[in-house]
Amino acid sequence: MAKKPSAVALAQAQAAAKAKKGGGGGGGMNKAVVLMVLAALVPFSLPTVTLLFFTMLPTLAAWASEKGTNKYAWLCVGGLNFAGVIKYLFDLWFGVHTLDEAFNLLSEANVLLWAYGASGIGWLMYLSMPPMVASWLAFTTDRRVAALKAAQKRLVEEWGDEVTKKNAA
Amino acid sequence: MAEAAGAMEQQEAQAAAGPPGVLRERYLIRSNQPLPDLSTPNAEAFVAEDKRDPKRALFALICRPDLPVRVNVMRAIKGMQSGGLMQMVEWGPMNWPPIGRQCMTVIYERPVGKRLMTNMRSECRRIDEYAMTPKVVEPLVAAIRELTSRGITHRSIRTTNLFFMDEAGERIALGDCVSSPPGFDQPLLFETIESGMANNVARGSGTYSDDLYSLGVTLVFLLLGRNPVAHMDDDTILRMKMQQGSYNVLVGDERLPLAFVELLRGLLCDDAEQRWDVEGLDLWLSGRRLSPLQPRHEKRAARGFPFNGKEYFHCRELAAAMARNWDAAIPPVLEGKLELWLRRAVEDKERAQAVAEMVRVVLNGGGERRIATDQLLCKVLMLLDPAAPIRYKGFNAMPDGVGTALAAVMAQKSDTRLVVEVILREVPRLWFEARKFYSPDNSLMEGNFRELKNYMTQTGLGFGLERCLYEMNDALPCQSPLIGEEYITELKELLPALNATAGKQGVSKQWPVDRHIAAFMGARARSDIDRNLTQLSDPDQGKAFMALLNLFAVFQYRLGPEQLTALAAWIGALAAPAVAAYHSRDKRKELEKELAKLVRRGSVVEIYNLLENPGERDKDENDFAWAQAQYQAADDEVKRIQGNEEDRDKEATRIGKQTAAVTGILIALITTTIVVILKVW
Repeated sequence: MAKKPSAVALAQAQAAAKAKKGGGGGGGMNKAVVLMVLAALVPFSLPTVTLLFFTMLPTLAAWASEKGTNKYAWLCVGGLNFAGVIKYLFDLWFGVHTLDEAFNLLSEANVLLWAYGASGIGWLMYLSMPPMVASWLAFTTDRRVAALKAAQKRLVEEWGDEVTKKNAA
Repeated sequence: MAEAAGAMEQQEAQAAAGPPGVLRERYLIRSNQPLPDLSTPNAEAFVAEDKRDPKRALFALICRPDLPVRVNVMRAIKGMQSGGLMQMVEWGPMNWPPIGRQCMTVIYERPVGKRLMTNMRSECRRIDEYAMTPKVVEPLVAAIRELTSRGITHRSIRTTNLFFMDEAGERIALGDCVSSPPGFDQPLLFETIESGMANNVARGSGTYSDDLYSLGVTLVFLLLGRNPVAHMDDDTILRMKMQQGSYNVLVGDERLPLAFVELLRGLLCDDAEQRWDVEGLDLWLSGRRLSPLQPRHEKRAARGFPFNGKEYFHCRELAAAMARNWDAAIPPVLEGKLELWLRRAVEDKERAQAVAEMVRVVLNGGGERRIATDQLLCKVLMLLDPAAPIRYKGFNAMPDGVGTALAAVMAQKSDTRLVVEVILREVPRLWFEARKFYSPDNSLMEGNFRELKNYMTQTGLGFGLERCLYEMNDALPCQSPLIGEEYITELKELLPALNATAGKQGVSKQWPVDRHIAAFMGARARSDIDRNLTQLSDPDQGKAFMALLNLFAVFQYRLGPEQLTALAAWIGALAAPAVAAYHSRDKRKELEKELAKLVRRGSVVEIYNLLENPGERDKDENDFAWAQAQYQAADDEVKRIQGNEEDRDKEATRIGKQTAAVTGILIALITTTIVVILKVW
């Protein structure tokens, strides 16, 4: 039976709703601040941004393409995508940190191959992981069911078929 | 040669006659040597021999198996030595070869002389007034006094049951009184009016006053040397007794010695309250002469009551006629004719008013009309003749004779409906309520009948008609077909008898108890076992079996014997429901193993202790409940697992995606770390 919400619970719920509303507004402001900081950094690290923008396009696509509640593709693809790019990013940072150099790197097939190849592996991993987990879960639940049925069989052997009846008490 | 031939002839003769019966391994009863002169109307006499004293002259009476015998009286008079009573030497059930079953057998000292009178129409040796007192009155009164002191009555005092015990005919003694129900063999003439109205099987033990009345009739016969009313049938005798009084009917115009007129008037007085008792007889014997009792006759009505084609002038006579014609008697009572007759012709306003009130209650009352009218007539008859026995639709019985009547009816497998109705409709209560004076005996009997009604209304094993049978006949043998021809009168004999039955084939699947055995146990057990008996009818076979086992175990513990191997095996074979009452299969196996051991020991008590262990039972119940809960929990979990496949897929997708994301991040971090390390170094 559902409990009637108390006055305290109602007050808490209202506060939470307000906070959510306020949080939404706050989040928007934070995003703007982050974007402004990033925008401010662009003139100082334009080669990095350029390299990252072009090499991390699969991540962007993963982020944009995934629908639903569990949007984790950009993290998986992004992780591997970044792993493929990081070496060249370091080359840029520890080499000549110019826009030309960034474009030079982008024009190298290796760079894009590593970046997009790694993101492809990320996609593969992201797509193959749920069926693997499902198989694992099915395996473990089947084992659990078998164990439970074996226990039931032992009970029937020890107590007879009456044990299968529900105890009125 | 001649001796050998003689011995062979003797052996052949014995073989042709069949083997003799043996009572208590001491007395041989020769089935080939009947003694018709000593037989009673319901028991045949045979020559009996005492193995320890072959010269002793004895005879045995073989009782009819379908008639209840007077075991209590047998117990009381065995070995009793009284000049006026034939000595009973031994009694007991015995296997009687000619009919191949157990029969109650009574052994008496054999009279040397003959029976005083062979039948009611024959003549007997007249005894003169001077010999009468020492030869007849004194010994018979002494015998009655002795019986009275032991709390029993003879109820078979009649000339055809008197014997000359010696050759000279000096000693006269009363014969058997135990081989049939009290008063059963008595001709109506020897019974009081009230007892004569009752069915002969339902006359009841009565009181010593009934014996004294019979003594009075016997004395008349002996003084006259014949039956003075041999020409009359029983109905006429009863009617004449009611109209004229017993003394006038028997003595009439006969001339009797004056000294005996007073005695006979005292003994044959129809009013039991006024009839002489043993003290009165002692006074008479000591020579004190009293003025003779004058008979008091019932008031004659101014005009007769027409009933069934006849006119009746006396209430008592009318009541007897109505009792004989039950259905025809109801309309005149309901129509108020009887009330009118009582009011106008008999001029008894009190009784007329009582009848009117009873009729009014019936006519205005609810319930079943037929039952109400039967009870009405019953009450009306009691009102018209309060001294008469219980009369109900042709069943006429003294209250203490209902038991023997039921026993006889059941033994002969006749219709028990009337006896059942009498008990269920509390007819005896009506009779007790009609008594003018308080009697402790009546009060006790009334209580007993109330209890009987209670038993009758319960239908389970151990109750019902069978329970009433054994409650009312405390010496009746168990009638169960399970124990066959065994003659079981006491509870201690029951288990050995069942043990003997258990040895026979084809009984192992039957329960060792039936309605008769259960009722017998209930009636004979000294403690109240009704709760256990009720459980015998429990629909749960395990509970019913444990109740039976409990009873048998208690009886074996208290009454023995210690070893009843066959019965234990029988019980063991039926123990499955009790073993099955335990849930644990391991426990069951253990019990079965243990049970087999105890069966070999023949101990019902130990079997009971094994199966009835409250601690073990509780533990088994608790463990079983726990196991049930475990099973249910497992069942629920399996259902939950199998029923949530869709959720599981969703969960798998979520976990898979999360895992992939975490893995991707980890790879990025690791790669970054490696790249940093490589760059730094």
